[in-house]
Amino acid sequence: MDTSSPSAFVNGALLRRFIGQKVRTVIQVTGSEIGSVVGKSTDDLQIVVRGSSPPSPLTTYLEVIGIAESDNAIRAETWTNFGNTFDTQNYNELCKLANGEFKHLFI
Amino acid sequence: MAVNLTAGAITKILNGEVSSEIDLMPVLQVTELKMIPSRLQQNQESNNRYKVLLSDGIHLQAGMLNTTLNTLVIQGSIQLGSIVRITHYVCSLIQGRRIVIIMQLEVIVAKCDIIGTPNEPGQRGGAAVPVNTQSNGGFDQQQARSDVNGGRYGVSANSPQPQVGGLNNSNDGRYGVSASLAQPQVGGTNSSDAGRYGVSAAASPQPQVSQRYGTGSGYPETSPSNRPYVSSNAGYGGSRQEQPRAPPATTAYSRPVQSAYQPQQPPMYVNRGPVARNEAPPRIIPIAALNPYQGRWTIKVRVSSKAELRRFNNPRGEGKLFSFDLLDADGGEIRVTCFNDVVDQFFDQIVVGNVYLISRGNLKPAQKNYNHLPNDYEIHLDSASTIQRCEDDGTIPRNQFHFRSISDIENMESNSMTDLIGIVSSIGTTVPIMRKNGTEVQKRALQLKDMSGRSVEVTMWGNFCNAEGQQLQNLCDSGVFPVLALKAGRIGEFNGKQVSTIGSSQFFVEPDFPEARELRQWYEREGRNAHFTSISREFSGVGRQEVRKVIAQIKDEKLGTSEKPDWITVCATISFMKVENFCYTACPIMNGDRPCSKKVTNNGDGTWRCEKCDKCVDECDYRYILQIQLQDHTGLTWATAFQEAGEEIMGMSAKDLYYVKYENQEEEKFEDIIRSVAFTKYIFKLKIKEETYSDEQRVKATVVKAEKLNYASNTRCMLEAMNKLKIGDANSLPESSNYRSDAVNSGIGTSGTRDTASVNARREFGVPAANQVGQYGNQYSSGARSLGGVTSCNACGSNSHVSANCPSLMSEPQGQYVNGTPGRYNAGGGMPRQNVGSY
Repeated sequence: MDTSSPSAFVNGALLRRFIGQKVRTVIQVTGSEIGSVVGKSTDDLQIVVRGSSPPSPLTTYLEVIGIAESDNAIRAETWTNFGNTFDTQNYNELCKLANGEFKHLFI
Repeated sequence: MAVNLTAGAITKILNGEVSSEIDLMPVLQVTELKMIPSRLQQNQESNNRYKVLLSDGIHLQAGMLNTTLNTLVIQGSIQLGSIVRITHYVCSLIQGRRIVIIMQLEVIVAKCDIIGTPNEPGQRGGAAVPVNTQSNGGFDQQQARSDVNGGRYGVSANSPQPQVGGLNNSNDGRYGVSASLAQPQVGGTNSSDAGRYGVSAAASPQPQVSQRYGTGSGYPETSPSNRPYVSSNAGYGGSRQEQPRAPPATTAYSRPVQSAYQPQQPPMYVNRGPVARNEAPPRIIPIAALNPYQGRWTIKVRVSSKAELRRFNNPRGEGKLFSFDLLDADGGEIRVTCFNDVVDQFFDQIVVGNVYLISRGNLKPAQKNYNHLPNDYEIHLDSASTIQRCEDDGTIPRNQFHFRSISDIENMESNSMTDLIGIVSSIGTTVPIMRKNGTEVQKRALQLKDMSGRSVEVTMWGNFCNAEGQQLQNLCDSGVFPVLALKAGRIGEFNGKQVSTIGSSQFFVEPDFPEARELRQWYEREGRNAHFTSISREFSGVGRQEVRKVIAQIKDEKLGTSEKPDWITVCATISFMKVENFCYTACPIMNGDRPCSKKVTNNGDGTWRCEKCDKCVDECDYRYILQIQLQDHTGLTWATAFQEAGEEIMGMSAKDLYYVKYENQEEEKFEDIIRSVAFTKYIFKLKIKEETYSDEQRVKATVVKAEKLNYASNTRCMLEAMNKLKIGDANSLPESSNYRSDAVNSGIGTSGTRDTASVNARREFGVPAANQVGQYGNQYSSGARSLGGVTSCNACGSNSHVSANCPSLMSEPQGQYVNGTPGRYNAGGGMPRQNVGSY
């Protein structure tokens, strides 16, 4: 299992901490265009994801893993459809914990 | 030798001139000598006293010899005709009569003829003499009788006896009311006195005597009114009379004292024989005043309940008993029990609701196991006890209740007794329940609601199901919701709190109490539609708090070893399943609303026999009995899953599976099914109980419910738990770091997989966070079982502080994190576990 480049779980607010670093997040897709997908993060901030080959059709929820470009943009390398039902609150809590109290467990 | 009697001495005595030896030491002759044996208070010893008639040649005077002089009499120094000089004496006026009490005397002549013809003082002339003789005769008679009667007292029969002599029959041993009012002769009245000591002597024959008696019962007109006093007077008179009873002084004094004190009770004078029945009006005392040290008591009570006749067998032999409860006007309650023969005596007499006068029972301490009345004592009747019916007394209530509201019951202890009143909102059917000892018993449940907004389940056992149960059912069916008052219900703790009937419980349907009316009105107004919280929870265990635990805790906390089974919830995976005997052949016969489900045996010809139902069936049910191994991150345990849970786990009915395996011999299919089941994660509700298997104690887990894991809600649960933990004490923080390692493992481990991996990660992360983080962490870190509470800083490893306070820590605003030293983690620390799937 390749653990050489771990990605941090982020939500909208945490993204800015990892600019230039590999992150992963789940967004609720609000719109998609060629080359980019716009969505709402689990803490209701808008995130733009650029990159090639987003999967189609897109489900409501999408996970992206990539490099954080700015505090609201990610350049995605990996896209995954997460289905239409998703518990955003739980994910949000995860992000907070994974970067806070339990950071040592993750990275 | 010729001696001169001191003439006129008697007269002087009588008129008060002479009152003691200071004045005169007369020489007198003993013309009468009577021994009065006095048995005081049933003492064995009899103190004989001698009553004498002293003569000065002219008159006679009654006197009593002090017991010290008894020896003289016995010796013979003092005998009929003896001449004595009284040297130490006192003349007392007792009830208008003079008695000479002689303490010391000198015997001058022991034997002598009667000198002169002395008369009794107060005699009227000649009549006196014959009267005297008569009276003497009669007197003698009476005296004789009195001797016989002496000491006995009792009610004197009302004998209107014209004859003086005849009187005393009634008096024999009678004491008390001289009924003999009607006696024309004064003497007659004295007969009542005779009760004393044959007071008869007193008088009957002698008008004088009677006069003397006069104050006492003597006078017919006074007698009736002085009924209570008569006795006393009688006694008095008696003592006054020439009957040596107790020393007149004492009687004189004791009398009034006693009568004043207890006018109804006969004074315990000289009991010469069995005490005759006292028919004086009973003294009624309240139940609250009853105690074993109380003398004779009488209570006026209403029977509030009567129990059935019960037979028992104890080492001393067989017996029977019955008991009934009493209520008096002050609200006091007490139970009365009768054994064996006494049962026959009183059983038929006692009717619930009647008022009785009861006396002469024994007070014993109450047996709290059976007797739930608020009294420390209970009455045991014996053959001497009396129960007398009397007319109804409105002041005595019919029943005494101590109603509690249903919400109070919630806080009351189990096995305590209470009275309840409420509206019956629903009533179930009677079901037979098998008791542990194999006997069957009827049970019926109903729901009771009251003004506290709560409802409770009331369980009726045995006979209540049929009698009252049916009545209530009818009422409920017809739409009326009856008010039910229950007396003496036991509070039980079965699925919350509920109330059960016991043998001595009583039901009152639609009673006529103010509380009942209040309840009815309230129900009409609002109760009908109000919402009720039940303090008796349903059987499905919904009310049970979901206690999340990890498998290791089963052993750690010794779950199941206490008396009651423990119900817990675990989130675990099925790691293994025994495929042999995954089901059994069961009886399909419906028993109530559940199938019998007992194992049936194959009769060989295709039919199946059930032992319990005692029937044969052609087609049997197949029911799951899965032995599965459950595993979570802390440990593993075996559990048994029965039908319902089995179906959930396997995803198909037992019958189908059975067919797949045995009938159709589709081994592969079977294996596939089994494999798919393995390593699936569920939320299991387990019932843990320690059971004894042939001398061995084993903790057994039964799967009550198996639910597929809903990740989202589970995660939420865990988050909540984590939060709680954070708020909890700081000591847990160091431990939490240990299980964070687990999260790391899982987090990293599952990050590879795409689909619900991250969700899984969260879940895994969450799972160990269940309330028991601290403990789990302990186990985890130390490898061995808990050393809870050892505080050491995870960050730097020193023991002086916890990681929360560690100076080497850099804390971020949103939370604290530790530069975790993996050292505390065990082997798996930091690195992902390989068994990703199940983890």
